[in-house]
Amino acid sequence: MLGFISFSQQAPEGPTNRRTLTDTHIVKMAAAFAGLLKPWTPRVCLVRWSRYNPYYLEPEVRKDAYSRPEEELTAEEKEQRELKALRPIKAATNSVTSSVFNDPVLSKFINMIMKDGNKIRARDIVTQTLESIKRKQVEKYHKAPEGKKEEIECCPYAIFHQALENCKPVVGLASIQKGGKFYQVPIPLTESRRRFLAMKWMITECRDNKHRRTHMYEKLSQELLAASIKEGNVIKKKHELHKMAESNRAYAHYRWW
Amino acid sequence: MHESEDIKLRIKHYRYSFYLGQLLGLWFTVTHVRSLHTSGCGQQQEAVAVETDPEPFSVFRTQENDPACQSEKHFGQYYTLPSADVRTLFPHGLPRRFQQQVKTFNEACVMVRQPALEVISCLKKTDNSKPAVRYLFYGLKGSGKTMSLCHTVHFCYTQGWLVLHIPDAHLWVKNCKELLPSSYKTSRFDQPLQATEWLRDFRTTNEKFLSKIKTTQRYMWTKREFTEEGSSLGQLVEQGITRVKSSSDVVGAVMKELRLQSGQPESNLRVAVAVDGVNALWGRSTIKKEDKSAVDPEELTLVCNLRKLMKNDWTGGAIITTLSQTGSLYTSKSAYLPQELLGERGFDSMDPFIPVSVPNYSEKEFESCYLYYKDRHWLQHPQSQTEDGKKEIIFLSNRNPAMLERICAFL
Repeated sequence: MLGFISFSQQAPEGPTNRRTLTDTHIVKMAAAFAGLLKPWTPRVCLVRWSRYNPYYLEPEVRKDAYSRPEEELTAEEKEQRELKALRPIKAATNSVTSSVFNDPVLSKFINMIMKDGNKIRARDIVTQTLESIKRKQVEKYHKAPEGKKEEIECCPYAIFHQALENCKPVVGLASIQKGGKFYQVPIPLTESRRRFLAMKWMITECRDNKHRRTHMYEKLSQELLAASIKEGNVIKKKHELHKMAESNRAYAHYRWW
Repeated sequence: MHESEDIKLRIKHYRYSFYLGQLLGLWFTVTHVRSLHTSGCGQQQEAVAVETDPEPFSVFRTQENDPACQSEKHFGQYYTLPSADVRTLFPHGLPRRFQQQVKTFNEACVMVRQPALEVISCLKKTDNSKPAVRYLFYGLKGSGKTMSLCHTVHFCYTQGWLVLHIPDAHLWVKNCKELLPSSYKTSRFDQPLQATEWLRDFRTTNEKFLSKIKTTQRYMWTKREFTEEGSSLGQLVEQGITRVKSSSDVVGAVMKELRLQSGQPESNLRVAVAVDGVNALWGRSTIKKEDKSAVDPEELTLVCNLRKLMKNDWTGGAIITTLSQTGSLYTSKSAYLPQELLGERGFDSMDPFIPVSVPNYSEKEFESCYLYYKDRHWLQHPQSQTEDGKKEIIFLSNRNPAMLERICAFL
């Protein structure tokens, strides 16, 4: 609602001067309540650089959203659906997909591997990694004797998620200035920060400590397999951070005073 | 009539897939089964199958491992290449991705498909005394031309033919590290590395023939080195492998001997010439001479000898070839028809040949491949087991075998 008002304020067709005044008034008032009404609203709306005018609707790529029958919808959703028939819709960005094989964590990982916007290459590396993990595990599976087959985890996606889960640190360190000195203070981490650190460590570890003749996907698959059973350099790095936080626990109160 | 049979078959597929899924612990959603027939029926089916058939029975596998005995009813099913045959017959002959798959699955399974069986049935009926017939597999990229060729070659091998298999002719017209002027004819060039490699593979494949076949003339390699008339083919090949310099000429000599001796009534020798990427012989090459001008494939000893083999002026064998766009030089990516890839010259020199089209997977073949991958634990993504996932795989791959393999590789 708020966004819409501010849009109309900037629209080039030009509302009258008086109208603008009232609008600014409303915007100011609404801004005061924005914190109460919504969990988070953007302070700045890039109206001028947006490709679409506010008339455009957001795209919906989920298939099941379209297959729901008319009766199940609430009044609000029905209204939305009717709006869609009339108003133009923004083009979906290329990271949005309705594929059943889509995995948000994996696509985040692909985006973090990406250099220079070369997503095709980044995706190739990750798919090859998954393939080589699977090749190793399936080969092991077929060679294993009958009783032990069930123990081998073959799914590369499960291994990937397990590895990332194992790499996530529990506490982090922040550098805080107190009395002219910087202290490494242990702090709690948010979920997204933990995920970020796990991915970043995994990628930098593979990039830096790779022999120049091994491919990225080989190294990455080795590291992921190692991390999924709590081995390897990334896990070591996590333990180092934990140890550092443990030894600096005396500074923990510097977070507050 | 035909359609109803097809539907029956498909239902059968679903039933077995349900049973298989249970066997392997890959649970199908019950709703999926219910949509086809009642769950009671499915359970009954399962109970019966378990009682009557203790060993794992599958719709996508056939126990008929001899290509000579395979028939229409085996279409779309997988047969197992014995691992001993793989090692001797295809030291380097199989495609790279298939080699990886063999390593991963711990077995070499090839699907029985229409094009290969067509050629095999023709080969069974050929008259020994007539000139060799040329077969040409063609089709879109990744549709399984090379695998069809390998299947046919395996048939020839099991029938006790001598197999002369060139895994990829394109490798002979590019990336040549050592190019020597020929000692036999100065206008030609030798490729000793490629020639020795091929001779080595030839030796492993045709171990049993090497002592039986005797040379018909005396070959002079240098002033001191020569191979006497009546010495065995093994000695000739050995000469090529030990004396790298003369290896290209040895290849020519081996081909000539086989051409002369096959189809002779007293020897009862039959030769199968299998060439992958036959369009390389009439294309262009990227090899450069010393003056930086490109070498014409005609000037290469190996290619020249192979071209002589392609002429059907010899009897008692067969020439089985495939076209291939992958790896070929100066051709457009979408080209796949014989006249496009062979060019006018090549087409005229191959004519007459029997073109055999290799299509993408049919619905039945796709289903069989899908079940095979599932059986081998190759489809691991939880969504790939569902109906939606399958639809997406079909959409992405368009039932092209190579694409299907690539897409399934990371699922």
